[in-house]
Amino acid sequence: MIMQTQYDEKKHVLTIQIEGRFDFSCHKAFKDAYSSVDSNCKFELDMTKVTYVDSSALGMLLLLRDYAGGDQGEIVLNNCNDAVEKILRIANFDRLFSLH
Amino acid sequence: MSLVSLNILIADDNPSDRLLLKAMLSGLGHNVDVAEDGLEAIEKFDPESTQLVCLDVVMPECDGLEAAIKIQEMSRGRFIPIVFLSGLSDTSSLVNCLKVGGSDFISKPYNLVLIAAKLDAIIRILTLQKRLEAQRDKLSSYNEQLIHEQEVAKVVYENITHSNCLSDPCLNTFFYGHHLFNGDVILAAYKPNGGMHLLIGDFTGHGLSAAIGALPLADIFFEWTRKGFLMRQIVPEINRRLKAILPADMFCSALFVDINITDKTLEVWNGGLPDALFFSQRQKKPQPLVSHNLPLGIVSESEFTYSTEIVGFEVGDSFLAWSDGIYEAIDSKGVMFSECQLNPLIEGRVDSDNLLPWLRRKLETEGVLDSAHDDISCLKIDLSDAIGVEQESSVSKIEELDTPSDFSFEYTLNAESLKNTDPLPYILQIIMTVSGLKHYSGQVFMMLSELYSNALEHGVLQLNSKLKATNDGFVLYYMERETRLSMLESGYIRIKVSISSNEVGGVLNIELEDSGVGFDTSQIKLKLEDSDELYNRGLPLLGQLCESIDFSDKGNRVGVQYQWDK
Repeated sequence: MIMQTQYDEKKHVLTIQIEGRFDFSCHKAFKDAYSSVDSNCKFELDMTKVTYVDSSALGMLLLLRDYAGGDQGEIVLNNCNDAVEKILRIANFDRLFSLH
Repeated sequence: MSLVSLNILIADDNPSDRLLLKAMLSGLGHNVDVAEDGLEAIEKFDPESTQLVCLDVVMPECDGLEAAIKIQEMSRGRFIPIVFLSGLSDTSSLVNCLKVGGSDFISKPYNLVLIAAKLDAIIRILTLQKRLEAQRDKLSSYNEQLIHEQEVAKVVYENITHSNCLSDPCLNTFFYGHHLFNGDVILAAYKPNGGMHLLIGDFTGHGLSAAIGALPLADIFFEWTRKGFLMRQIVPEINRRLKAILPADMFCSALFVDINITDKTLEVWNGGLPDALFFSQRQKKPQPLVSHNLPLGIVSESEFTYSTEIVGFEVGDSFLAWSDGIYEAIDSKGVMFSECQLNPLIEGRVDSDNLLPWLRRKLETEGVLDSAHDDISCLKIDLSDAIGVEQESSVSKIEELDTPSDFSFEYTLNAESLKNTDPLPYILQIIMTVSGLKHYSGQVFMMLSELYSNALEHGVLQLNSKLKATNDGFVLYYMERETRLSMLESGYIRIKVSISSNEVGGVLNIELEDSGVGFDTSQIKLKLEDSDELYNRGLPLLGQLCESIDFSDKGNRVGVQYQWDK
């Protein structure tokens, strides 16, 4: 797992790019990544290179959602591959996050 | 044992070299013991106290190399450095010293500055080694503690799920977890009026933390089912409780099944598990029962959705569900086990008697069970209308004297309450205070629920049960029921209960009156054999249980009498 973050100060957007398996091993890096910015920031997750998500990754997404203020938060998941999107849809996470 | 002054053992057959080195090392502050050859060194070596061994390479009796091998055997896994003392300088004999496990050389003639520096280096290595050992010990005791805690949790969990009826012949399960205690649960409980509730769930993560939520889940599941609560009351309650106690990143993907044997329907609530499959003998392809809801424990009560699918079943149909471990599993080639591997199953090409063995074999041949990254649980139900019908009451059959009782009550529900409450568990609880009735709670609950659903569905909501006659009828019927109920503005159901009992038995009278228009009571068929339709079994069932059934007014009032003796 490799994680890179990029913060656009003008637009107030934090982009987190995750590569490889998105699972429990990402826990600390992922938490460090989003908590480095204000919670009212917009969060974009670049999922292009994510090959796999497990249920603890879904849990981490919920932690981020909590941090961003629940329903008020703005979290976008970009470019999920089919397998990843299927897992998110089975869990009906498209109701909690915007999938693009 | 101090690491500033070491316990050092020196073996050298040359007395002057031996004494010189002893003097030097003692001068540096170490405790030195000496031996005149390899044999004596082995005798004097004590793995508990010796911290460094210095061996001359060439000695009579037993040379340094042999002694080094023996001493290492005696060290029992401890790291005790061995330094060779040698006047030799050819490469091959020095290499031999290292090959048998030596850490370093001190060459003769001795140089005090060099020896002091080497001793410092050895002390640094020993310090590091000691720290590693301490960490290793800490880690292994921590691991032991963890395993112990998991064992405790497993016992607690098993105690709480002891009322599981997974051994019922209609159920088949297989289960594969790579942790001692994983986050998968399969729960099954008989409903008091026949039929069964089942839940297959998968908590986030693995191990102990994944199982924390299983305790309240099982608790609510068994307790509320036993008390006669309905699936649509139990599921939101589990969600509410899990949301309240679990941290934000933990939840439970789950599938709840209600087997209703009176209607012969299966109602499924799926929140986050892969499609379950319903195999009907009438159709080649199984019907997928899709996840329409978020998993349990994520959203609050107000956002929670209760979206279910209802199918009508016939004896011999079956149902198959599994936890998402199957999708998360990686096959032996390191490729994700993909859904297309399950195509024969999904397309109905697997014999319905063979579903579970087929799935198991598939997982085994793909190597999934060996390298599962998540826990895998599968559940198969062989559907029939006999499920949970003749169950021993869970109440212990301790013979106690029945205390006589004599009471009555009346309970009227108006439109708003009809929409939002299910009065039956509460009524049942009051009736069950009568000690002689405890063994008949199933029958009493069955009468109550038949009477109540008749009054609500055919009386207040004016639903025609002929709707159920067609293939999709059940689904339409329940959709219509939901719609009419949600739009209900007026109407009532009045329930009157009276009981009188003595030491040997008693009489229970239940009367229900609804605000409906009534019906032509002369058409009623009370005998089971008269009821050839599948959908009209409620009344004959009542007829079997009760002493008498009387309709009065225009058919919107019904009274039943139930008698029991010890």
